[in-house]
Amino acid sequence: MAMRWSWSRLSLNQKLAAGALTLGLLALFARPNRGNVITLDVKELATIIDKEGDHVTAGELGGWIVAGHADYRLIDLRSEKEYAEYHIPTAENVTLTALPDAPLLANEKIVLYSEGGIHASQAWMLLRAKGFKNAYTLKGGLDQWKEDILFPTLAENATPQERARFERAAALAKFFGGSPQAGGTQTVAAKMPEMPKVEAPAAAAGATSTPPKKKKEGC
Amino acid sequence: MEMSAPFFKYGLFGDEASLLVAFAIGIGFGFFLERAGFGSARKLVAQFYLTDLAVFKVMFTAIVTAMLGVTYLAWMGVLDLSLVYLVPTYWVPQVVGGLLLGAGFVIGGYCPGTSMAAVATGRIDGLVYALGIGAGTLAFAGLFPVLRGLYLAGSAGAQTLPQLFHLPYGLVVFAVVLMALAGFYGAGLVEAHFGARGERS
Repeated sequence: MAMRWSWSRLSLNQKLAAGALTLGLLALFARPNRGNVITLDVKELATIIDKEGDHVTAGELGGWIVAGHADYRLIDLRSEKEYAEYHIPTAENVTLTALPDAPLLANEKIVLYSEGGIHASQAWMLLRAKGFKNAYTLKGGLDQWKEDILFPTLAENATPQERARFERAAALAKFFGGSPQAGGTQTVAAKMPEMPKVEAPAAAAGATSTPPKKKKEGC
Repeated sequence: MEMSAPFFKYGLFGDEASLLVAFAIGIGFGFFLERAGFGSARKLVAQFYLTDLAVFKVMFTAIVTAMLGVTYLAWMGVLDLSLVYLVPTYWVPQVVGGLLLGAGFVIGGYCPGTSMAAVATGRIDGLVYALGIGAGTLAFAGLFPVLRGLYLAGSAGAQTLPQLFHLPYGLVVFAVVLMALAGFYGAGLVEAHFGARGERS
């Protein structure tokens, strides 16, 4: 009949297989800690925020777009409808709820903006929690973008330096389809000048916002 | 017990030191690849002729060993699994890339890691293969603006089998062990069948 079974008769491989099987069986009862707990270095974040390393200004962003930089991704966190009405050139629309699953890479330079800036800051926190080290917000959000880039104003009693600065801002505003407001004694209540059409700005080449047409290539 | 791993995430060493650690692990990886015979393209391509399935067996053994180790370390509370980096799933580029790598494996007789082991032992074909990897990497980097759409297609985030199939973690571990053991048994049968007929090289 069959040989009597004995452990010592087994080859090394069979012994290892038996060991793996045993460990695998035991693992059925394993409750490994795999909590969704995230660890944030609170001190590090506070330092970044304090040193204003968490945002870019409208002027900086405008400069990148004019220069055709392609090393950043600009994320518009507002609704699709708002995005369709107007968005900063090169921006992609990713709503706040879609952000956790958005195809962003942890090593990309990501600039987030919302209407005012609160949603962007919250989204920034989410991305930092996910390990994105290169995330920024647009300081002041779209409101600041309108104020600084699209519709810069020149006070009537402006100094020559202010006028010179305004000239440069006006050129930038025209590039983005905005309208500089010279000599305006506008109050805050004054009605907003008309927003540029989405297509209007002569957006710099280089960084295009949506790449669906590229999908065919490379397969 | 206090959680203390992954060491890097807990700040046991910094970015620079992590490169040294990676170097040491890489050397160890290469050493064992070479000792398993994987520094030779003949041994590696025997896999595709079904005469010698050592590659399958070694790789699956490594997977099961690492899986059991990670499971038990996490169970003991030493390793925080939620801090272990998971490669996010982009299924389109990963399928395309997998097929490309497979084709390169069949044609060149190496995969990236084994080609380095082959270079280390002075094999010319391994060197040619490694140069090809460098050229391909540069070409990819240069074409990245064009390939970006493909690169990001089919994003599904970081996925794990327990989450995907809604199964308990331990059950998946056990199933993978069973799969491996069945695979090893099957590989033995395949080798006995094809290996006996094939010419010994």
